[in-house]
Amino acid sequence: MIPALPIADTNFVDATWILILKSLVIFVVILSVVPVVLLAERKLLGRFQNRYGPNRVGPYGSLQPLADVGKLLSKQGFRPTGAVPGLYEVAPALTILAAVLTLAILPFGDVQGGVGLYGIDVPIGILYFFAFGALAFYGLLLGGWASGSKYSFLGAMRSAAQLISYEMAMGLSLLGVVLMAGSLSLVEIVKAQGEIWFIVPQIVGFLIFMVAGFAETNRAPFDLPEADAELVAGYSTEYGGMRFGSYFFAEYMEILIISGIASTMFLGGWMGPGPSWLDPIWMLAKMLAITFIFIWIRATLPRFRYDQLMSFGWKVLIPLATLNVLVTAVLVVVW
Amino acid sequence: MVEIAFFAGAAGAIGGALAVVLLKNPFYSVLALVVHLVFLAGIFLLLRAQFLAAAQIVVYAGAVMVIYVFVAAYVGGIEEPAFDAHPRLRIFGPIVAAALFIEISIAVAGSALVGIGTEGPQDIPDDFGTPAAVGRMLLDDFLIAFEAASILLLLAAVAAIVLAGRRGSQTQEGT
Repeated sequence: MIPALPIADTNFVDATWILILKSLVIFVVILSVVPVVLLAERKLLGRFQNRYGPNRVGPYGSLQPLADVGKLLSKQGFRPTGAVPGLYEVAPALTILAAVLTLAILPFGDVQGGVGLYGIDVPIGILYFFAFGALAFYGLLLGGWASGSKYSFLGAMRSAAQLISYEMAMGLSLLGVVLMAGSLSLVEIVKAQGEIWFIVPQIVGFLIFMVAGFAETNRAPFDLPEADAELVAGYSTEYGGMRFGSYFFAEYMEILIISGIASTMFLGGWMGPGPSWLDPIWMLAKMLAITFIFIWIRATLPRFRYDQLMSFGWKVLIPLATLNVLVTAVLVVVW
Repeated sequence: MVEIAFFAGAAGAIGGALAVVLLKNPFYSVLALVVHLVFLAGIFLLLRAQFLAAAQIVVYAGAVMVIYVFVAAYVGGIEEPAFDAHPRLRIFGPIVAAALFIEISIAVAGSALVGIGTEGPQDIPDDFGTPAAVGRMLLDDFLIAFEAASILLLLAAVAAIVLAGRRGSQTQEGT
Protein backbone atom coordinates (compact mmCIF):
# COMPACT_ATOMS: atom_id res chain seq x y z
CA MET A 1 0.00 0.00 0.00
CA ILE A 2 1.19 3.48 -0.82
CA PRO A 3 1.01 5.78 2.22
CA ALA A 4 -1.31 8.75 1.88
CA LEU A 5 1.54 11.19 1.69
CA PRO A 6 4.94 10.05 0.44
CA ILE A 7 6.53 12.56 2.80
CA ALA A 8 6.03 9.85 5.41
CA ASP A 9 7.98 7.51 3.15
CA THR A 10 10.52 6.36 5.69
CA ASN A 11 12.42 3.27 6.61
CA PHE A 12 10.12 2.53 9.56
CA VAL A 13 6.66 4.07 9.82
CA ASP A 14 4.84 4.52 13.12
CA ALA A 15 1.13 5.13 13.56
CA THR A 16 0.13 8.78 13.27
CA TRP A 17 -0.74 9.24 16.95
CA ILE A 18 2.64 7.77 17.96
CA LEU A 19 4.35 10.21 15.58
CA ILE A 20 2.54 13.16 17.17
CA LEU A 21 3.36 11.92 20.68
CA LYS A 22 7.01 11.38 19.74
CA SER A 23 7.30 14.86 18.26
CA LEU A 24 5.89 16.35 21.45
CA VAL A 25 8.24 14.36 23.69
CA ILE A 26 11.34 15.23 21.64
CA PHE A 27 10.32 18.88 21.46
CA VAL A 28 9.59 19.17 25.19
CA VAL A 29 12.78 17.37 26.22
CA ILE A 30 15.04 19.49 24.02
CA LEU A 31 13.12 22.62 24.96
CA SER A 32 13.82 21.93 28.61
CA VAL A 33 17.46 21.05 27.98
CA VAL A 34 18.14 24.41 26.30
CA PRO A 35 17.73 26.51 29.50
CA VAL A 36 19.96 24.02 31.33
CA VAL A 37 22.64 24.51 28.68
CA LEU A 38 22.19 28.26 28.93
CA LEU A 39 22.70 28.22 32.67
CA ALA A 40 25.58 25.75 32.41
CA GLU A 41 27.30 28.02 29.91
CA ARG A 42 27.03 31.08 32.14
CA LYS A 43 28.11 29.17 35.24
CA LEU A 44 31.03 27.50 33.46
CA LEU A 45 32.14 30.72 31.77
CA GLY A 46 32.13 32.28 35.21
CA ARG A 47 34.35 29.52 36.57
CA PHE A 48 36.67 29.69 33.53
CA GLN A 49 37.06 33.41 34.18
CA ASN A 50 37.56 32.96 37.91
CA ARG A 51 34.20 34.42 38.99
CA TYR A 52 30.94 32.93 40.23
CA GLY A 53 28.54 33.40 37.34
CA PRO A 54 24.83 33.86 38.07
CA ASN A 55 24.15 33.06 41.73
CA ARG A 56 21.31 35.33 42.83
CA VAL A 57 18.10 33.82 41.42
CA GLY A 58 17.25 30.55 43.14
CA PRO A 59 19.77 28.14 44.71
CA TYR A 60 23.16 28.53 42.95
CA GLY A 61 21.47 30.75 40.36
CA SER A 62 19.53 27.77 39.01
CA LEU A 63 16.42 29.82 38.21
CA GLN A 64 18.35 32.40 36.17
CA PRO A 65 17.09 31.15 32.74
CA LEU A 66 13.49 31.39 33.98
CA ALA A 67 14.08 34.95 35.10
CA ASP A 68 15.66 35.77 31.73
CA VAL A 69 12.72 34.36 29.80
CA GLY A 70 10.31 36.26 32.05
CA LYS A 71 12.17 39.45 31.35
CA LEU A 72 12.28 38.89 27.59
CA LEU A 73 8.59 37.99 27.43
CA SER A 74 7.46 41.05 29.33
CA LYS A 75 9.37 43.44 27.07
CA GLN A 76 7.56 45.63 24.57
CA GLY A 77 7.49 44.30 21.00
CA PHE A 78 9.32 47.04 19.14
CA ARG A 79 10.21 47.67 15.52
CA PRO A 80 12.76 50.32 14.51
CA THR A 81 11.54 52.89 11.96
CA GLY A 82 14.11 51.79 9.37
CA ALA A 83 13.08 48.15 9.56
CA VAL A 84 11.10 46.36 6.87
CA PRO A 85 7.68 45.39 8.24
CA GLY A 86 6.83 41.73 7.87
CA LEU A 87 10.31 40.42 7.14
CA TYR A 88 11.56 41.84 10.44
CA GLU A 89 8.99 39.78 12.35
CA VAL A 90 9.29 36.62 10.23
CA ALA A 91 13.09 36.29 10.39
CA PRO A 92 13.49 35.09 14.01
CA ALA A 93 10.56 32.69 13.62
CA LEU A 94 12.20 31.22 10.51
CA THR A 95 15.44 30.59 12.40
CA ILE A 96 13.75 28.80 15.27
CA LEU A 97 11.46 26.84 12.93
CA ALA A 98 14.41 25.45 10.99
CA ALA A 99 16.16 24.49 14.23
CA VAL A 100 13.11 22.71 15.65
CA LEU A 101 12.45 20.82 12.40
CA THR A 102 15.99 19.47 12.38
CA LEU A 103 15.38 17.81 15.77
CA ALA A 104 13.14 15.29 14.00
CA ILE A 105 16.02 13.22 12.62
CA LEU A 106 18.16 12.90 15.76
CA PRO A 107 17.91 9.23 16.79
CA PHE A 108 17.64 8.63 20.55
CA GLY A 109 17.40 4.86 20.24
CA ASP A 110 16.50 1.96 17.99
CA VAL A 111 12.97 0.59 17.51
CA GLN A 112 11.87 -0.44 21.01
CA GLY A 113 8.49 -1.97 21.79
CA GLY A 114 7.29 -1.15 18.29
CA VAL A 115 8.23 2.52 18.56
CA GLY A 116 11.27 4.06 16.92
CA LEU A 117 12.95 6.37 19.41
CA TYR A 118 13.42 9.13 16.86
CA GLY A 119 11.19 11.58 15.03
CA ILE A 120 11.55 10.10 11.57
CA ASP A 121 14.18 7.93 9.92
CA VAL A 122 14.42 9.32 6.40
CA PRO A 123 16.56 7.65 3.71
CA ILE A 124 18.05 11.03 2.82
CA GLY A 125 19.18 11.23 6.48
CA ILE A 126 21.96 13.70 6.85
CA LEU A 127 20.86 15.69 3.78
CA TYR A 128 17.75 16.65 5.76
CA PHE A 129 20.02 18.28 8.34
CA PHE A 130 21.82 20.25 5.63
CA ALA A 131 18.56 21.28 3.96
CA PHE A 132 17.17 22.85 7.12
CA GLY A 133 20.56 24.27 8.02
CA ALA A 134 20.41 26.10 4.69
CA LEU A 135 16.95 27.48 5.51
CA ALA A 136 18.02 28.56 9.00
CA PHE A 137 20.56 30.80 7.35
CA TYR A 138 17.79 32.87 5.73
CA GLY A 139 16.53 33.68 9.22
CA LEU A 140 19.83 35.35 10.09
CA LEU A 141 20.22 37.06 6.74
CA LEU A 142 16.66 38.41 6.59
CA GLY A 143 16.85 39.57 10.20
CA GLY A 144 20.04 41.48 9.51
CA TRP A 145 18.81 42.92 6.24
CA ALA A 146 15.30 43.81 7.39
CA SER A 147 16.52 45.60 10.53
CA GLY A 148 17.62 48.58 8.46
CA SER A 149 20.81 49.05 10.44
CA LYS A 150 24.44 49.03 9.31
CA TYR A 151 25.60 46.76 12.11
CA SER A 152 22.83 44.25 11.51
CA PHE A 153 23.51 44.27 7.78
CA LEU A 154 27.27 43.75 8.19
CA GLY A 155 26.62 40.96 10.67
CA ALA A 156 24.23 39.26 8.27
CA MET A 157 26.69 39.57 5.39
CA ARG A 158 29.46 38.12 7.49
CA SER A 159 27.31 35.19 8.52
CA ALA A 160 26.41 34.57 4.86
CA ALA A 161 30.05 34.44 3.79
CA GLN A 162 30.97 32.31 6.77
CA LEU A 163 28.17 29.80 6.29
CA ILE A 164 28.94 29.33 2.57
CA SER A 165 32.61 28.80 3.33
CA TYR A 166 32.17 26.28 6.13
CA GLU A 167 29.11 24.39 4.93
CA MET A 168 31.21 22.67 2.29
CA ALA A 169 33.85 21.52 4.77
CA MET A 170 31.08 20.27 7.05
CA GLY A 171 29.46 18.23 4.30
CA LEU A 172 32.77 16.73 3.20
CA SER A 173 33.73 15.86 6.79
CA LEU A 174 30.59 13.71 7.16
CA LEU A 175 31.11 12.01 3.79
CA GLY A 176 33.81 9.78 5.26
CA VAL A 177 31.36 8.43 7.84
CA VAL A 178 28.69 7.94 5.18
CA LEU A 179 31.19 5.99 3.04
CA MET A 180 32.10 3.72 5.95
CA ALA A 181 28.50 3.13 7.05
CA GLY A 182 27.21 2.78 3.50
CA SER A 183 24.05 4.69 4.34
CA LEU A 184 22.79 8.23 4.80
CA SER A 185 20.18 7.23 7.38
CA LEU A 186 21.25 8.30 10.86
CA VAL A 187 19.77 5.15 12.43
CA GLU A 188 21.76 2.94 10.05
CA ILE A 189 24.90 4.95 10.72
CA VAL A 190 24.56 4.38 14.47
CA LYS A 191 23.98 0.67 13.91
CA ALA A 192 27.13 0.52 11.75
CA GLN A 193 29.16 1.65 14.78
CA GLY A 194 28.55 -1.57 16.73
CA GLU A 195 32.21 -2.64 16.54
CA ILE A 196 33.99 0.67 16.73
CA TRP A 197 32.82 4.26 17.00
CA PHE A 198 33.59 6.23 13.87
CA ILE A 199 35.56 8.79 15.86
CA VAL A 200 38.52 6.36 15.80
CA PRO A 201 38.88 5.79 12.03
CA GLN A 202 37.39 9.20 11.19
CA ILE A 203 39.19 11.37 13.73
CA VAL A 204 40.10 13.88 11.00
CA GLY A 205 36.48 14.06 9.91
CA PHE A 206 35.38 14.57 13.51
CA LEU A 207 37.78 17.45 14.07
CA ILE A 208 36.78 19.13 10.80
CA PHE A 209 33.11 18.67 11.65
CA MET A 210 33.54 20.24 15.06
CA VAL A 211 35.46 23.24 13.69
CA ALA A 212 32.87 23.74 10.95
CA GLY A 213 30.17 23.28 13.58
CA PHE A 214 31.58 26.15 15.65
CA ALA A 215 31.51 28.28 12.52
CA GLU A 216 28.00 27.25 11.47
CA THR A 217 26.54 28.09 14.88
CA ASN A 218 28.37 31.45 14.97
CA ARG A 219 30.10 30.46 18.18
CA ALA A 220 33.45 31.70 19.43
CA PRO A 221 36.08 31.69 18.00
CA PHE A 222 33.98 32.11 14.83
CA ASP A 223 31.46 34.60 16.24
CA LEU A 224 32.32 37.32 13.72
CA PRO A 225 28.67 37.85 12.71
CA GLU A 226 27.98 39.12 16.22
CA ALA A 227 31.44 40.38 17.14
CA ASP A 228 30.40 42.76 19.91
CA ALA A 229 33.51 44.89 19.73
CA GLU A 230 32.90 45.79 16.08
CA LEU A 231 29.23 45.19 15.30
CA VAL A 232 27.40 45.76 18.62
CA ALA A 233 25.55 42.44 18.29
CA GLY A 234 25.54 41.76 14.55
CA TYR A 235 22.31 40.62 12.95
CA SER A 236 20.38 40.70 16.25
CA THR A 237 21.35 44.30 17.14
CA GLU A 238 17.90 45.78 16.45
CA TYR A 239 15.97 42.96 18.06
CA GLY A 240 14.56 42.99 21.56
CA GLY A 241 12.17 41.05 23.73
CA MET A 242 11.20 37.55 22.69
CA ARG A 243 12.25 38.16 19.06
CA PHE A 244 15.80 38.46 20.31
CA GLY A 245 14.97 35.54 22.58
CA SER A 246 14.09 33.45 19.52
CA TYR A 247 17.48 34.10 17.95
CA PHE A 248 19.19 33.34 21.23
CA PHE A 249 17.16 30.19 21.74
CA ALA A 250 17.72 29.03 18.16
CA GLU A 251 21.48 29.45 18.59
CA TYR A 252 21.52 27.10 21.58
CA MET A 253 19.18 24.71 19.82
CA GLU A 254 21.63 24.65 16.89
CA ILE A 255 24.45 23.86 19.30
CA LEU A 256 22.47 20.92 20.65
CA ILE A 257 21.68 19.76 17.10
CA ILE A 258 25.34 19.94 16.03
CA SER A 259 26.23 18.03 19.20
CA GLY A 260 23.52 15.50 18.39
CA ILE A 261 24.74 15.01 14.83
CA ALA A 262 28.33 14.70 16.05
CA SER A 263 27.41 12.07 18.66
CA THR A 264 25.32 10.18 16.09
CA MET A 265 27.92 10.24 13.36
CA PHE A 266 31.09 9.80 15.40
CA LEU A 267 30.34 8.75 18.99
CA GLY A 268 28.04 5.79 18.46
CA GLY A 269 24.79 7.69 19.01
CA TRP A 270 22.60 5.93 21.57
CA MET A 271 25.06 3.05 22.09
CA GLY A 272 26.41 2.53 25.56
CA PRO A 273 26.65 -0.09 28.30
CA GLY A 274 23.53 -0.99 30.25
CA PRO A 275 19.96 -1.99 29.39
CA SER A 276 18.33 -0.65 26.27
CA TRP A 277 16.06 1.80 28.11
CA LEU A 278 19.23 3.75 28.92
CA ASP A 279 19.79 4.47 25.21
CA PRO A 280 18.13 7.92 25.08
CA ILE A 281 20.03 8.90 28.21
CA TRP A 282 23.34 7.91 26.62
CA MET A 283 22.49 9.97 23.57
CA LEU A 284 21.61 13.01 25.70
CA ALA A 285 24.76 12.55 27.79
CA LYS A 286 26.93 12.48 24.67
CA MET A 287 25.18 15.56 23.31
CA LEU A 288 25.77 17.45 26.54
CA ALA A 289 29.42 16.36 26.63
CA ILE A 290 29.98 17.87 23.18
CA THR A 291 28.03 20.97 24.21
CA PHE A 292 30.51 21.30 27.07
CA ILE A 293 33.33 21.37 24.48
CA PHE A 294 31.50 24.23 22.74
CA ILE A 295 31.49 26.21 26.00
CA TRP A 296 35.07 25.26 26.81
CA ILE A 297 36.30 26.48 23.41
CA ARG A 298 34.37 29.72 23.79
CA ALA A 299 36.09 30.41 27.08
CA THR A 300 39.53 29.48 25.73
CA LEU A 301 40.06 30.89 22.25
CA PRO A 302 40.00 34.53 21.09
CA ARG A 303 38.03 35.54 18.00
CA PHE A 304 39.55 35.09 14.54
CA ARG A 305 40.26 38.00 12.23
CA TYR A 306 38.05 37.97 9.13
CA ASP A 307 40.81 37.11 6.63
CA GLN A 308 42.07 34.35 8.93
CA LEU A 309 38.57 32.91 9.05
CA MET A 310 38.30 32.82 5.26
CA SER A 311 41.75 31.48 4.50
CA PHE A 312 41.42 28.84 7.22
CA GLY A 313 38.11 27.65 5.80
CA TRP A 314 39.10 27.58 2.15
CA LYS A 315 42.81 26.77 2.29
CA VAL A 316 42.98 24.37 5.24
CA LEU A 317 39.61 22.82 6.09
CA ILE A 318 38.24 22.10 2.61
CA PRO A 319 41.44 20.54 1.18
CA LEU A 320 41.85 18.51 4.37
CA ALA A 321 38.24 17.31 4.24
CA THR A 322 38.59 16.40 0.55
CA LEU A 323 41.75 14.44 1.29
CA ASN A 324 39.95 12.66 4.13
CA VAL A 325 37.12 11.62 1.81
CA LEU A 326 39.60 10.45 -0.83
CA VAL A 327 41.64 8.32 1.59
CA THR A 328 38.48 6.90 3.18
CA ALA A 329 37.03 6.00 -0.22
CA VAL A 330 40.23 4.21 -1.28
CA LEU A 331 40.42 2.31 2.03
CA VAL A 332 36.73 1.33 1.91
CA VAL A 333 37.17 -0.07 -1.61
CA VAL A 334 40.46 -1.85 -0.86
CA TRP A 335 39.23 -3.42 2.40
CA MET B 1 -4.30 14.85 1.62
CA VAL B 2 -2.08 14.43 -1.45
CA GLU B 3 -4.35 16.80 -3.39
CA ILE B 4 -4.12 19.48 -0.70
CA ALA B 5 -0.33 19.14 -0.54
CA PHE B 6 -0.06 19.24 -4.32
CA PHE B 7 -2.19 22.35 -4.77
CA ALA B 8 -0.50 24.12 -1.87
CA GLY B 9 2.87 23.31 -3.44
CA ALA B 10 1.73 24.31 -6.91
CA ALA B 11 0.24 27.60 -5.74
CA GLY B 12 3.42 28.41 -3.81
CA ALA B 13 5.68 27.51 -6.72
CA ILE B 14 3.71 29.47 -9.31
CA GLY B 15 3.19 32.40 -6.95
CA GLY B 16 6.90 32.50 -6.20
CA ALA B 17 7.82 32.33 -9.88
CA LEU B 18 5.42 35.14 -10.75
CA ALA B 19 6.75 37.26 -7.90
CA VAL B 20 10.31 36.83 -9.22
CA VAL B 21 9.30 38.46 -12.49
CA LEU B 22 6.82 41.03 -11.21
CA LEU B 23 8.56 42.46 -8.13
CA LYS B 24 10.57 45.60 -8.77
CA ASN B 25 13.05 45.27 -5.92
CA PRO B 26 15.75 42.72 -6.87
CA PHE B 27 16.18 41.61 -3.24
CA TYR B 28 12.52 40.59 -3.02
CA SER B 29 12.78 38.91 -6.41
CA VAL B 30 15.60 36.73 -5.13
CA LEU B 31 13.64 35.89 -1.98
CA ALA B 32 10.64 34.97 -4.12
CA LEU B 33 12.89 32.63 -6.09
CA VAL B 34 13.90 30.96 -2.81
CA VAL B 35 10.21 30.52 -1.91
CA HIS B 36 9.59 29.06 -5.37
CA LEU B 37 12.46 26.58 -4.98
CA VAL B 38 11.26 25.46 -1.54
CA PHE B 39 7.72 24.80 -2.78
CA LEU B 40 9.13 23.01 -5.82
CA ALA B 41 11.08 20.76 -3.46
CA GLY B 42 7.77 19.97 -1.77
CA ILE B 43 6.34 18.85 -5.12
CA PHE B 44 9.40 16.68 -5.68
CA LEU B 45 8.66 15.04 -2.32
CA LEU B 46 5.13 14.29 -3.48
CA LEU B 47 6.64 12.62 -6.55
CA ARG B 48 8.75 10.47 -4.18
CA ALA B 49 11.96 12.09 -5.40
CA GLN B 50 13.38 12.60 -1.91
CA PHE B 51 16.98 12.95 -2.94
CA LEU B 52 16.09 15.50 -5.57
CA ALA B 53 14.06 17.49 -3.03
CA ALA B 54 16.94 17.54 -0.54
CA ALA B 55 19.48 18.37 -3.24
CA GLN B 56 17.22 21.17 -4.48
CA ILE B 57 17.15 22.79 -1.03
CA VAL B 58 20.81 22.18 -0.18
CA VAL B 59 22.28 23.19 -3.53
CA TYR B 60 19.87 25.80 -4.90
CA ALA B 61 18.20 27.36 -1.85
CA GLY B 62 21.23 26.79 0.39
CA ALA B 63 24.23 27.60 -1.80
CA VAL B 64 23.34 29.21 -5.13
CA MET B 65 20.60 31.48 -3.81
CA VAL B 66 22.70 32.53 -0.84
CA ILE B 67 25.18 34.05 -3.27
CA TYR B 68 22.33 35.76 -5.17
CA VAL B 69 20.94 37.16 -1.92
CA PHE B 70 24.44 38.25 -0.96
CA VAL B 71 24.89 40.20 -4.20
CA ALA B 72 21.34 41.61 -4.23
CA ALA B 73 21.70 42.79 -0.63
CA TYR B 74 25.01 44.52 -1.38
CA VAL B 75 24.25 46.25 -4.68
CA GLY B 76 20.45 46.04 -4.81
CA GLY B 77 17.80 47.19 -2.40
CA ILE B 78 16.87 50.06 -4.72
CA GLU B 79 13.89 50.18 -7.04
CA GLU B 80 14.96 49.13 -10.51
CA PRO B 81 14.14 51.72 -13.20
CA ALA B 82 11.70 50.48 -15.84
CA PHE B 83 13.54 48.50 -18.48
CA ASP B 84 14.16 50.68 -21.53
CA ALA B 85 14.72 48.25 -24.36
CA HIS B 86 16.33 48.81 -27.72
CA PRO B 87 13.58 49.30 -30.38
CA ARG B 88 14.67 46.23 -32.28
CA LEU B 89 14.54 44.15 -29.07
CA ARG B 90 11.03 45.41 -28.44
CA ILE B 91 9.81 43.63 -31.58
CA PHE B 92 12.16 40.66 -31.48
CA GLY B 93 11.66 39.85 -27.77
CA PRO B 94 7.90 39.14 -27.81
CA ILE B 95 8.30 36.99 -30.95
CA VAL B 96 10.90 34.78 -29.26
CA ALA B 97 8.78 34.62 -26.08
CA ALA B 98 5.69 33.63 -28.03
CA ALA B 99 7.62 30.98 -29.95
CA LEU B 100 8.97 29.52 -26.71
CA PHE B 101 5.48 29.55 -25.18
CA ILE B 102 4.02 27.67 -28.16
CA GLU B 103 6.87 25.16 -28.12
CA ILE B 104 6.46 24.43 -24.39
CA SER B 105 2.69 24.24 -24.79
CA ILE B 106 3.05 21.62 -27.51
CA ALA B 107 5.45 19.62 -25.38
CA VAL B 108 3.18 19.77 -22.31
CA ALA B 109 -0.04 19.10 -24.21
CA GLY B 110 1.60 16.25 -26.09
CA SER B 111 3.03 14.34 -23.16
CA ALA B 112 2.40 15.42 -19.57
CA LEU B 113 -1.35 15.94 -19.86
CA VAL B 114 -1.78 12.28 -20.77
CA GLY B 115 -1.18 11.51 -17.09
CA ILE B 116 -4.15 13.58 -15.92
CA GLY B 117 -7.12 11.40 -15.10
CA THR B 118 -5.01 8.36 -14.22
CA GLU B 119 -3.79 7.46 -10.75
CA GLY B 120 -0.17 7.42 -11.89
CA PRO B 121 2.11 4.40 -11.86
CA GLN B 122 1.28 2.00 -9.02
CA ASP B 123 4.34 -0.26 -9.24
CA ILE B 124 7.03 2.17 -8.09
CA PRO B 125 10.05 0.33 -6.69
CA ASP B 126 10.53 0.80 -2.94
CA ASP B 127 13.87 2.55 -3.27
CA PHE B 128 12.68 4.99 -5.95
CA GLY B 129 14.18 8.43 -5.43
CA THR B 130 16.42 7.42 -2.55
CA PRO B 131 20.08 8.50 -2.66
CA ALA B 132 21.11 4.87 -3.23
CA ALA B 133 18.90 4.47 -6.30
CA VAL B 134 19.90 7.83 -7.75
CA GLY B 135 23.59 7.09 -7.16
CA ARG B 136 23.36 3.69 -8.79
CA MET B 137 21.65 5.24 -11.79
CA LEU B 138 24.24 8.00 -12.14
CA LEU B 139 27.24 5.69 -11.85
CA ASP B 140 25.86 2.73 -13.86
CA ASP B 141 23.41 3.80 -16.55
CA PHE B 142 24.47 7.39 -17.08
CA LEU B 143 28.16 7.24 -16.21
CA ILE B 144 29.41 8.99 -19.36
CA ALA B 145 26.92 11.86 -19.08
CA PHE B 146 27.74 12.17 -15.37
CA GLU B 147 31.49 12.29 -15.96
CA ALA B 148 31.07 14.74 -18.84
CA ALA B 149 29.05 17.04 -16.60
CA SER B 150 31.68 16.83 -13.87
CA ILE B 151 34.46 17.71 -16.33
CA LEU B 152 32.37 20.65 -17.55
CA LEU B 153 31.97 21.89 -13.96
CA LEU B 154 35.68 21.46 -13.30
CA LEU B 155 36.50 23.47 -16.43
CA ALA B 156 34.10 26.20 -15.34
CA ALA B 157 35.67 26.34 -11.87
CA VAL B 158 39.21 26.54 -13.28
CA ALA B 159 38.13 29.18 -15.79
CA ALA B 160 36.52 31.25 -13.05
CA ILE B 161 39.73 31.17 -11.01
CA VAL B 162 41.84 32.12 -14.05
CA LEU B 163 39.53 35.00 -14.98
CA ALA B 164 39.35 36.31 -11.40
CA GLY B 165 43.13 36.08 -11.03
CA ARG B 166 43.76 37.99 -14.26
CA ARG B 167 41.45 40.85 -13.34
CA GLY B 168 43.09 41.10 -9.90
CA SER B 169 46.59 41.49 -11.37
CA GLN B 170 45.37 44.08 -13.93
CA THR B 171 43.93 46.39 -11.29
CA GLN B 172 47.12 46.08 -9.32
CA GLU B 173 49.16 47.16 -12.35
CA GLY B 174 46.69 49.91 -13.13
CA THR B 175 46.91 51.61 -9.75
